[in-house]
Amino acid sequence: MHGAATHTLEALLRDAFPEATEVRVSDRTGGGDHFLVEVTSPRFDDMPLLEQHKLVNAALAEPFAAGTIHEMRIKTKGSR
Amino acid sequence: MSEVLQERIKSVIETSPVTLFMKGTPQFVMCGNSERALQALRSAGAPVTAVDILPDPEIRRELSAISGWPTIPQVFINGELIGGADIAEELAQTGELERKLASALGGDYADSADERVVSVLVPG
Repeated sequence: MHGAATHTLEALLRDAFPEATEVRVSDRTGGGDHFLVEVTSPRFDDMPLLEQHKLVNAALAEPFAAGTIHEMRIKTKGSR
Repeated sequence: MSEVLQERIKSVIETSPVTLFMKGTPQFVMCGNSERALQALRSAGAPVTAVDILPDPEIRRELSAISGWPTIPQVFINGELIGGADIAEELAQTGELERKLASALGGDYADSADERVVSVLVPG
């Protein structure tokens, strides 16, 4: 069973954050299950970090529940 | 059964100044992300109450049902979810974690920064 591909996750994030100025998913270990997810969006301006991460978690809830993501690190940025 | 467990989890979250749900214990950490969260809390001098979620998969299920947060570790200050390892690390780096701890627990919170481990397992 292969893990999720980075472009699949990026597509989910772009759907969830159409306004994002940057969406990047990197495979940290090359194994297709440890990811670094970076999203830069004006929506994050003045939003508590917890809520920012909750939105990212929600966008990737499906592959997470399916077990294709074993671990993911999240880095969010606002537009400022 | 799960109701009792949920009550025990809630009780720890609500009565501990800082709760860290983790894989393993501070003495024997079983996951890199739990280690990152623990180190972030230690760097801020937080009085950590650690709960190992590994002994029973029910703990993680009930915890995520309570918190709405999908992954482990999870950090709470005075009953409020702060986030996981990434957030704890980022807040520690910016100094925000110390400010949050001081405003929630008082400026002298680091004076009693003992670590303790508690179990939420229901006996029997």
